[in-house]
Amino acid sequence: MDLVTKRKWDSAAATFDLMGGYGPEKRWGPRKREFFSHMRGRVLFLAVGTGLDIPFFPPERDIVGIDISAGMLEKARPRAAAYGDTLELRELDVHDLDYPDHSFDQVYTSCTFCSVPDPVRGLERLRRALKPGGELRMFEHTRSRYFPFNLMLNLMTPLSRRVGPEMNRDTVANVSRAGFERVEVRSVYLDVVKQIRAVAPAAA
Amino acid sequence: MEKRLYFVLGDAAAVAGTGALAGLAATVLVGESWLMLPAMGIGMAVGMALALPASFLFMPLFGAMEVMLPVMLGGMLSGMWIAMAAAMRPLGLAEAALCGAGIGLAGLVACTAADAWLKRKGNAWTS
Repeated sequence: MDLVTKRKWDSAAATFDLMGGYGPEKRWGPRKREFFSHMRGRVLFLAVGTGLDIPFFPPERDIVGIDISAGMLEKARPRAAAYGDTLELRELDVHDLDYPDHSFDQVYTSCTFCSVPDPVRGLERLRRALKPGGELRMFEHTRSRYFPFNLMLNLMTPLSRRVGPEMNRDTVANVSRAGFERVEVRSVYLDVVKQIRAVAPAAA
Repeated sequence: MEKRLYFVLGDAAAVAGTGALAGLAATVLVGESWLMLPAMGIGMAVGMALALPASFLFMPLFGAMEVMLPVMLGGMLSGMWIAMAAAMRPLGLAEAALCGAGIGLAGLVACTAADAWLKRKGNAWTS
């Protein structure tokens, strides 16, 4: 397990809901409800954090939520308990994913791959965990192609990296690099917040 | 485009406040003796430096990128323009704050217009 990343998010757990629990969730709530409404089959939800997204999950889905931080998961437990028995939480680093290949029908991420230290390796691990033809769905903020937003995100990254996310990750390209097929993108805000969906190759 | 009143008013207050702050800082820092180009560069840097912590302040209330990017853009533009104006003629604090707030709001309008343009270009899934 990546202990540096684990410690960073364990430290962030205490104030995470204060920073992200009201404004961002209120702003993105309707988009996230629609985003998660496509959950089907056995679902892996990566970086469940303090469970802020759990209220947007459709009911009675078979979901495994993982996170690298025990501190985050501790805060997520009441929200998971309110969801029901079909949501299981586990402390796990995506790089060390221990599920057999082809275990899941879908993988969901939400504002996650700005923080995974080796995003392509993490995405490769997710691709292997998906059944052939299984679907990756991501709600992520990424780098922008357009000035001045790209400049601003580049300037913010050295600071934001210290407390959590990188603001200028090329997550769409990373999904392709990790071997996913049919990579599609839908803009949520500017060229920065995006929904990404992709498919694990049939021969994976 | 965001239509919920809480966010419309909140975003406007955030960018206007940050723009005013950046304008004030620029006019305090830059005098009439300054050359215009360095004044603009310094004003822009000061505006961004103030906008970054401001955006983290507003994020818990109004969302992440939807408030961060307009606040950053508004602060940057306000610092740059007010510094340029301050290098050309004496600028009072009230005028600097008011103009800064207006420039901040212009930054928000620019972000909203850019978002609408991008969505018109392709709001559907694209590969």
